[in-house]
Amino acid sequence: MPDQEKDKPTSAAPANVAEIPAKPAGPEPESSQCFFGEPLVGLDPGELNGSLIVIEGMDGSGRSTQIALLQEWLESEGFSVQTSGLRRSNLVGRDIDELLAKNAVTRLTLALMYATDFFDQLEHRIVPALRSGAVVLADRFIFTLIARGVVRGINRDYLTGLYAMALRPHLTFWLNVRPETAFAREFKKAQAISYWEAGRDMSLSHDLYWSFVRYQTMIKRELESMAKKNAFIELDGEASVSAVNKQLRQRIGEQLGIRVSKYTPSSALAHLWR
Amino acid sequence: MTDYAQLPVPQSFTAPMDNQDIAVKTPPRPDASKTTLPQPGRPVPSRAYPGALIVVEGTDGSGKSTQLYLLKRWLEIGGYRLHFTEWNSSPLVKSATRRGKQKRLLTPTTFSLLHAADFADRCERQIMPLLQGDYLVLADRYIYTAFARDAARGCSHRWLRNLYRFAPVPDITFYFRAPLEVAVDRILSGRPKLKYYEAGMDLGLSYERPESFKLFQARILEEYDKMVDTDNFVVLDGTLPVNKLQKQMRDIVASKIDLKRFAPRAPEAE
Repeated sequence: MPDQEKDKPTSAAPANVAEIPAKPAGPEPESSQCFFGEPLVGLDPGELNGSLIVIEGMDGSGRSTQIALLQEWLESEGFSVQTSGLRRSNLVGRDIDELLAKNAVTRLTLALMYATDFFDQLEHRIVPALRSGAVVLADRFIFTLIARGVVRGINRDYLTGLYAMALRPHLTFWLNVRPETAFAREFKKAQAISYWEAGRDMSLSHDLYWSFVRYQTMIKRELESMAKKNAFIELDGEASVSAVNKQLRQRIGEQLGIRVSKYTPSSALAHLWR
Repeated sequence: MTDYAQLPVPQSFTAPMDNQDIAVKTPPRPDASKTTLPQPGRPVPSRAYPGALIVVEGTDGSGKSTQLYLLKRWLEIGGYRLHFTEWNSSPLVKSATRRGKQKRLLTPTTFSLLHAADFADRCERQIMPLLQGDYLVLADRYIYTAFARDAARGCSHRWLRNLYRFAPVPDITFYFRAPLEVAVDRILSGRPKLKYYEAGMDLGLSYERPESFKLFQARILEEYDKMVDTDNFVVLDGTLPVNKLQKQMRDIVASKIDLKRFAPRAPEAE
């Protein structure tokens, strides 16, 4: 289910963002625009000034690479950046890791633990960052969580209702790749494919490769079905890192109201730029 | 994605959780003849398990746990097939709950979700399999505890009802009702130190724990009272003497549930 790598949460770096409006000025956001369904207990959406940018895509679609590059680029442009991702909450992040390792958990419990993890990060990481005007880069969001539940047979409306209080992102990118490509990339990363990545709990195939491809195809179909309604910006995840990154910067630059200049990663990230 | 605002609020928790196109359907058992308690204005759903579920609800100090214990003893001594389950007891989620409470990381939403995860674990691994396996299941607190307590914390009813809609509807829900003063006195006299979340300190109702506890319990009581009709609670007076209450409880159980079904299958007398 999760991917192999689990990059460390990055704290918001102090940066000078005084002159740049975080968002095009407009009327106060109404709560219906702000949330998917209903307001989060105790949150006034009027306080949120930052931008919430989500990158979705299956394991091996290049999300974490792009997020690392975007964070560096945004910080070099003077924006404060916060990141979020699955299983990174202080509350239950580690507990989920343990549950997954023991493989002794049922689908609904796991879905609810992921929801707890999501809302803990939303309330303790994403919302505070947005209040301070930061740019939040979310490595996956409710869409992946809903898709994973649906392919395991959990009622779609149930999951949608569960995440009704999630904030609506300003931009949602979807890095779309073929499962076959993703398999090769994931395998290269760890020289193995994990139990959950291959969806082996679903008994799709005893063959690891086919299990991975079938599982990721099911997830992909679910994401496809959500794409239009949620204004996904679909990018070709098979394109080069630099080409995908350029498109991302273009759209994010428009959202933040900044002119996008040329970007080359620092030596620390140069290895990602292939 | 479905527009959440357009969704009807489910009246029945037995709404199937499975997407029809994906899940493998289990055929209903031949002896699954019993039905759930009627829901107002809704057709009575037939259910897919032969067991029976009895739950007790009520505020802290209402006497419900004592009564359920005595009911359990009565049934155990009679040799009935039963399983007892307590709220907030799944080992899987315990460490997270403890950490969240100790470090005060919990918000109304995550408090609610963590307890739902705990319940889901027990529901999927104990309650449902045992109901399917023709057991009598006794639950000390059930989803109504979450409805009352989490709503008192500010979670929306609509969201909470959706969250727990996978839970089977009980055959009997006993609601032990005690006046606020009585229940609060019972707790405060027996438990000198109230815990942070137990006292509802996260709501900022009062700086004094006993006072906060009282205000929090009042809200919970109000939420419970609202469910008496909508969720078919059997209301019992928590101030009655223990043995009298237990008599009432046993009479109701005997009249509403065909206990013979859960009795040991003794060899035929010759």
